[in-house]
Amino acid sequence: MTNQQLSENYHRGKEVKVSVTDLTKKYDDLLVLNDISFNIYKGEFLCIVGPTGCGKTTFLNCLSRFIPTTRGDILVDGQPADPTHHDMAFVFQEVSTIPWLSVEDNIRFGLKVKRRPPDEVERRTEQMLELVGLKKFRSYFPRQLSASMEQRVVIARNFALNPDILLMDEPYGQLDLKLRYYLEDELIRIWQEIGCTVLFITHNIEEAVYLAQRVLVLGQKPATIKEEIIVDLPRPRNFADPAFVKIRDHVTDAIRWW
Amino acid sequence: MSTAHASALEAPATSRVKGYWKEYNSSVFSLLVFLLIWELVCRLGFISRFQLVPPSEVIVVMIEKFWTAPPDGATLFTHIAASMTLALVGFCAAVVVGVPLGLLMGWYKPVMVLVRPLFDAVRPIPPIAWIPLAILWLGIGIEAKAFIIWLAAFVPCVINSYIGIKLTNPVLIRVARIYGASNWETFIKIGVPSAVPMIFTGLKLSLNAAWTTLVAAELLAASEGLGYMIQMGRRLARPDIIIVGMLTIGFTGALMSYVLTKIESRIASSRRL
Amino acid sequence: MANAAAANLKEKIGAVFSFVIFLALWQVASMAVGSEALPSPADVVAKAQEMYTSQIGGKSMWMHIYYSLRRVVGAYLLAAVTGIPLGIAMGWNVKFRKIANPIFELLRPIPPIAWIPIAILWLGIGEGPKIFICYVGAFVIFVMNTYTGMRYTDHLLIDAARTFGATRRQQLFNVAIPASLPSIFAGVQNAMSMAWMCVLAAELVGAREGVGFIIIQGMDLNNSPMIIVGMITIGLIGLFLAVSLRYLEKLLCPWRRELQ
Repeated sequence: MTNQQLSENYHRGKEVKVSVTDLTKKYDDLLVLNDISFNIYKGEFLCIVGPTGCGKTTFLNCLSRFIPTTRGDILVDGQPADPTHHDMAFVFQEVSTIPWLSVEDNIRFGLKVKRRPPDEVERRTEQMLELVGLKKFRSYFPRQLSASMEQRVVIARNFALNPDILLMDEPYGQLDLKLRYYLEDELIRIWQEIGCTVLFITHNIEEAVYLAQRVLVLGQKPATIKEEIIVDLPRPRNFADPAFVKIRDHVTDAIRWW
Repeated sequence: MSTAHASALEAPATSRVKGYWKEYNSSVFSLLVFLLIWELVCRLGFISRFQLVPPSEVIVVMIEKFWTAPPDGATLFTHIAASMTLALVGFCAAVVVGVPLGLLMGWYKPVMVLVRPLFDAVRPIPPIAWIPLAILWLGIGIEAKAFIIWLAAFVPCVINSYIGIKLTNPVLIRVARIYGASNWETFIKIGVPSAVPMIFTGLKLSLNAAWTTLVAAELLAASEGLGYMIQMGRRLARPDIIIVGMLTIGFTGALMSYVLTKIESRIASSRRL
Repeated sequence: MANAAAANLKEKIGAVFSFVIFLALWQVASMAVGSEALPSPADVVAKAQEMYTSQIGGKSMWMHIYYSLRRVVGAYLLAAVTGIPLGIAMGWNVKFRKIANPIFELLRPIPPIAWIPIAILWLGIGEGPKIFICYVGAFVIFVMNTYTGMRYTDHLLIDAARTFGATRRQQLFNVAIPASLPSIFAGVQNAMSMAWMCVLAAELVGAREGVGFIIIQGMDLNNSPMIIVGMITIGLIGLFLAVSLRYLEKLLCPWRRELQ
């Protein structure tokens, strides 16, 4: 199958969850994002890769409405994206557990801010504690946990909302290799179980190919979408698999700007 | 650092009491020498008894002051109660106003822009300098003193709450915002809890300032309280009364700080910070 | 960058606005309670003009300021030259710490202002007690900050010096003292504001000259504009002292980062 066919097959009959059209962001005169348009499908795991400093974080910040866009629309289910309306979740580069809340209260935090009914809060919290394997540590405080446990708390807090879209901004960039592999597998497992829409941003090509169903490659500043690559490999994926290596090399070529 | 080194080198076999003694024997010794010199200087007549009395007499006077009112008009306990009430009233009033103001200043830009210049303009004037004006306005009763103490305690409350909330981890603010929390909700759920440790630092400074200022206010205008007691001691040329008063002031101040520190560590441990 | 400039401008406008509101409120309040109790801003300006051109208690305003400053600066310098070495000694030498600390800890909780009565008893009512009180206030802060700085010197630095074969003396003068400079400098600022507060307190209790005397005189004469002019003068001098120390610190300690 050619890439063209693969792409056509992939897009056919999918329900659009988030649609981004002509997204543009300027800081004064500096053009950071230039006319970015794409769709994210319901339940999709989408990775965006690009060189460091290409505006990936700005892009996410626009998407989550932390900063105003210069031009363009971001629609979630056909409505303009808005954190007070939509269930958005965000995993940051920095560990973002809330230090004065216990593990379970951290997981409840988003549900409570969203004013979900109490029985639902409890049910979802229990489910997530089970899913990330932190039941025994429910009353611990973040300070008492290891780095990987803290990241699992953050992931649980975000998946607990069953969000319309989960945005992840290089969440494993600071972790060592072994921990990263472990948390990547965990992420895929929870994603498959909960089935929500994930937009994962990274500069690590291998990570992108390992996780994503589809990879978008961003170019250098101002960021534009250079290429789209469908990753139709079965899970669990293998880094040494020739098919994997082929896609990885393809992405590497696409990202190359030198 | 160095204490860790020292304790590591200490032989574990020594008993606890022996260890304490070893740690503190030179301290006890130095205090005893200090008191001995003081006693001798007075006994040998190097200094007039209208300027300094020996420590042995100070101790006797201190014990007597627990139930005798003369020469300064009240027992030690009455003085302590008067001073502590005043200090705590001023301190609590300052906390109630100052902490929320500092937090709001740190979170809401317009509050900051409006209040900060005024605050910065008034801050260089030491609270003590308000005493004459306060007395002129409010008389020499409890109101003037409470106002001065309030003012003294107010400033550190505001500054520390302000700094504390300014230091809130921006990522946590974004966590709340992405879940759709309003600015007010983010303030209450993220900003205020992160400022708690700094607020406590401010409370300790406030209490200290309140206590110091109280003494100044009582020196100038009071009919009871520890400041009044030492002032009377001066008028009557009774150094024993002054020294008893000073020691009580120091001790009571230290005790209040200690209680506040205990409360803080109780709260901190429940949050595992 | 245009945004930053705009924000800056906004802040300045806010500051001006806040002062205008403050002055207006002051004016209104003064009209409401009568200028007897609360003089209007204009009254205060007029009084300031009068005070700075005539004599109070036989001395010009500038002489009063001079007296207060002389007491503060004298006591402050004395406190620095005695307090910093004592703090270093207490931080560096265990034996000395064990001897000096208990006495220091006994006296430290006593606020310097509480020393005023006994200081007057000991030193009369001249310059002595005022300088003594300021000295006590500044001294405690110098000792505490120097001592804390010395005790929290990173042990790694000392060990590093030791591996280079530094003598005990070199470890002290080339490592421990420079490493505790930031803490000492924090004390430099606090000690000054403490000394300034102490001189006021001492002058309030009994003096015939100085800025503290001005405001207490204003109280005795039931003259609130005089008190307010005195308070503003006190604030400005305090600010001046703080700013000059900060400038000095930048000059002497350029590697220290400013904490906004």
